[in-house]
Order: sequence, then C-alpha cells, then structure tokens
Amino acid sequence: MTSTSLLVKGLGRQFGAVLALDDFSIEVPKGELISLLGPSGCGKTTALRIIAGLEKSDTGEVHLNQKNITNVSAHLRNMGMVFQAYSLFPHLNVSENVAFGLRMRRISKSDRTKRVNEILELVGLNHHHKRFAHQLSGGQQQRVALARALVIEPEVLLLDEPLSALDAQVRTNLREEIRRLQIELGTTTLFVTHDQEEAMAISDRVGVMNQGRLEQIDTPDTLYNKPANDFVASFVGTMNHLPANLDNGTVELFGKKFPTQKSGNESGKVVALIRPESIQVTFNETLANAVVLTRSFLGANSRLSCRTDDGTIVHTLMNNEASYSLHPGEKVKLEITSREVMVTNV
Amino acid sequence: MKKIFEYASKNLLSTAILIVAAFFLFLPLIGATEFSLRDGGPDKHSFISYKWIFEQSGFKENLGITFQVTALAVILNLLIMVPTVTWLHISGQRYRRLVEVVTILPLIIPVVALATGAQTALPSFLHNTVLELSFMYVVIAMPYSYRALDIGMSGKPLNTYVAAARNLGASWYKVLVSVIIPSIWPSVLAALFLTVALSLGEFTLAQLLHWTTFPTWVANVSQENILGATALSVGSLFFAWLLLFSFTLFGSNATDSSKDEA
Repeated sequence: MTSTSLLVKGLGRQFGAVLALDDFSIEVPKGELISLLGPSGCGKTTALRIIAGLEKSDTGEVHLNQKNITNVSAHLRNMGMVFQAYSLFPHLNVSENVAFGLRMRRISKSDRTKRVNEILELVGLNHHHKRFAHQLSGGQQQRVALARALVIEPEVLLLDEPLSALDAQVRTNLREEIRRLQIELGTTTLFVTHDQEEAMAISDRVGVMNQGRLEQIDTPDTLYNKPANDFVASFVGTMNHLPANLDNGTVELFGKKFPTQKSGNESGKVVALIRPESIQVTFNETLANAVVLTRSFLGANSRLSCRTDDGTIVHTLMNNEASYSLHPGEKVKLEITSREVMVTNV
Repeated sequence: MKKIFEYASKNLLSTAILIVAAFFLFLPLIGATEFSLRDGGPDKHSFISYKWIFEQSGFKENLGITFQVTALAVILNLLIMVPTVTWLHISGQRYRRLVEVVTILPLIIPVVALATGAQTALPSFLHNTVLELSFMYVVIAMPYSYRALDIGMSGKPLNTYVAAARNLGASWYKVLVSVIIPSIWPSVLAALFLTVALSLGEFTLAQLLHWTTFPTWVANVSQENILGATALSVGSLFFAWLLLFSFTLFGSNATDSSKDEA
C-alpha cells in the first residue's frame, strides 16, 4: 500500500495585489511523480518554493510523512531541489558540488566519496568528477544538479522547470532519464513545468494550475480525454473552439447532432470543444463545408488548418497519406468522429 | 613577450600613453629611492637613513597600533559588509539605492565632521580604545568595500545559489561561508585590500582623534630629518606593496586549497 508522503493543505500566498496561490492543496503518495502544469505566473513555482521552505505562505500547511513541517527551516527539510537556472556552485567541481549536501550532513569523507561516485555513475557523468560548471554543457550541469539533489536521499525531489533552458533533444533525453531514475530510486517527486508534453510524458499524475488554483489533478489520459473544465481542456493538448447552439442538451456540428455533458433542458449559445484528431477531413466538392488553409507536416502525421463556411478556423490532425492530396484552397468536408461533445458557455 | 611586442606595434598610441604614464609613476619613485639611499652626498649610498628609522623611539609601538587598528577594521568591515551586501542582493533589492547613497557619504562628509561625530556619537566605552579608530576606518572604507562586493555579486545568480545551498541543508552561516564568500572571493579580497591600504595610510582621522598611529608618527619624526623622511615614505610604500602582494598570494592559495577538499 502506498502512503502519502507529502501533503499540502490550503496554501495561500499574496504578492502585493497578485494572488499567487489560492487555497492550493495537493497530496503526493510515496514514490509517485506528480507534475504541476500551468502557464507562467500561475503559482506553480511559488508552491514548490513554499514546499521547499524557501518561501513563506500566508496560509496553509505543509506535511511530510505525517509531520507538520510548515515552520521548519528550509535546510532541515531534507528535500532535494533542481532549479531552472543553472545552480552549480562555481567554486566547486562536479564531485564537490554533489558532495555539498553530504558535507552539510557531516557524512564521513569515505562515505561521501562512495555515494558521490555511485550517483554520478547513475546520471552518466562518471568521467567528469573534476570539471567545473563552466566546463560542462547545460544538459550536463542539470544532470549534476540532479545528482546533487538525489545524493542526499531526499524525502521529496522538487524539480522547478529543470529542462526549460535546454535544447529540444537534450530536453527529451533528460526527461526520460529523470523518469527512469525516479522509478529506480522510488523518489517521491514534484515536477513543475509549463510544457504540457513534458508533464504528460513522464508523470503519474498531472495537476493543472491556473491563477494560483489547482484546476484538476489526474492521470495524463484522464486529463486529456475528460478535462474538468474549459481551461484544462484548452491548456492540455490542442483544442478547437467551435461556436454552436445548444438545444435541449445537444449541439449540431457540421450537420450532425451530438449529445453534450449538459442536462436535457439547457439551451443557448455555447462553444463546442473538439480535439483535432476527432475531426475527419474528406475531399468532397459538393458537400464541402470548409476550405484548406495550410498543411503542416509533423512527421508521423500532418496538421491541417481549415476555414469553415462561418469563418471559424479549425485544426485537424490526420495521417500523411490522407492529407497528401489536400492542398491549400481546396474544398473539403469536415466531420466530427467523437460520440459526445464537450461544450462550455460563451 | 613576443605577444606584448605584437600588441604594442599594433596599438602605438595606447602603448605611448602607457609608457608616459609609467614614466610619471616610476620616475619619482626611483628618484625618491635613490635620494633615500644617499649618505652625505649624491655620490655615496648606504642604508643609513633606513637604519635611522629603526632608531627612532615609538617606531615599533606605533606600527603595532596601526596593525591592530587595521586588522580590527578589516575584520569588522567584512563582518558587516559581506552579510549586508549579500542580503541586499538576495532579498533587499529595494534598499540598494538607499544603501548606495549611504555608502557614498563618507566620501562627501569632511573628515573633521566625521571625527567630531565619532567623539560625540560613539559610546563612551569605545573612547580611547583601538576600536574607536577601527570603527571610523570601517566607515571611511565603506564606499570602497561596498562597491567591491557589490560588483562581485552583481551578475551572479546568488538567489539560486542560496536556494540550492539552503535546500541541501546549509544553515545561513554555512551559506555565507561555504557558498557566497568562495564564489565572490576575488571581490572579498579586493574589499580587504582596500580597507588595509586605507587603514595603513590614514592620517587625518588619527590626528584629529589624538591617536598616534604609524602615519602620524611618520609625520612627526620626518620633520627633523629629510633623508630619513624620504626613507620612511619609500620604505612604507614598499612594505604596503609587499603586504598586499602577500595577501594576493595567500588569497589565491586559499581558493585553490578550498578546491582540494571535497
């Protein structure tokens, strides 16, 4: 049975007129990796810094292993943290940087050396012990920072956008590696990012944040397929917003009726939320309801942008073979393939 | 050496300016050194004037006092300024302007006013102790040490270093000693040098506060013997250089050895 490792209750934090955190609560079970995802300024980093003890909250509590640590000093919390900015101490080499936390814990020199060697091996940097930060690439620096945070065997690993400053390829490799290490070591982890692909790729669960509030926390699949509200729906993945009329709980889109999550007696103007992959495009001059604007090749598939008769821009995702023949300016017929449609009020 | 010549031939004007400047700096020094070595006339040279210095009463005592004052001033200065400037950089940004202005004040306020202020404002138990002068030297060294430290900290992600160190289990004291100071070590050394140089040569405040320090003693003694006076100035100049040079050596060794322990 997994037990809760980190419990955060009702955090609130105000900076001047800005409410950075508003009744923020989260439970992180032991060994789980949870991402906090949200646009910049949504309070995710503030939440992480409060959990680390680097910042004070106005209200709320932080519990670690059933102990209230709200007022415990940052240096006594035993949490490892990796920052967005490169944070290696410039006057120390790689192994000294990694050993820093152990030195603060007065671990003997022989133990230190052993543990530093082990962790550097684990992050694939066993040949860089004597290098200094300025002699390492960005990716290597973040690996060292990760090793430095993990070597102290933290109760919780806190990752504050550690990949944001890196190139696309390094970023993908390193995020896979973070996940591998996290599973291998079983470290309870809270990962903050604004990159939804990153969050969806490596997390057990993702918490979507907006304006200091946690909007929804769920597995990546649930988040994508059953978003709790419009914000989550639009923030996670690409989403089309199609204006529609709600009539007794159903909407009509491209000539077909779809049930919605609204109850039967609701009516009025709404916006239907449709994923690009739920729209089928066929070349059909007579039944056409849209015109192709652009086609972007994405590798495994293509994204097609079309303009419907009423002027709405619709994004679709389709396999390459089907899209080869669809050139800009061509008339096409759009159809929705999903059985149910989510709508929000205008 | 070859590189220097290449550079010089490419930048004739700046080389010329450098040579002229060096001429103005070194010629008087060479002249003074030669003069201080004279023994009775321009043809005979010896260390007689230097020997004379050591024979004067009060030489050791006053040099001792100056050393004490200097050491205390340096320690006080770093103890006050390093944590203050660090704080200004990590969480007190909005006070930086204010502190910048305050640290300029010792340059603007006349020394006489500072001396009078010291006599009226310093708590009485400090009067007539070495601390009185050391405190005032901390004040007049502040414009220099503040700027040296400020420059060292600007452009360094101190906040991230502090957060990382705190997170790894460092107390605030450890953050300062194991992270901040080593990462701005050249600036700390610069602040130290400036305070040392200033304290070793300060004359006016010492005189006004009725202290006999090495510089005031030099001023007194040299009125009787012009050759001796020159020997004293040349000697103390070389001594100060030697001191600062050894600090530099010690400083770079200290950072090297900190790299060896892990």
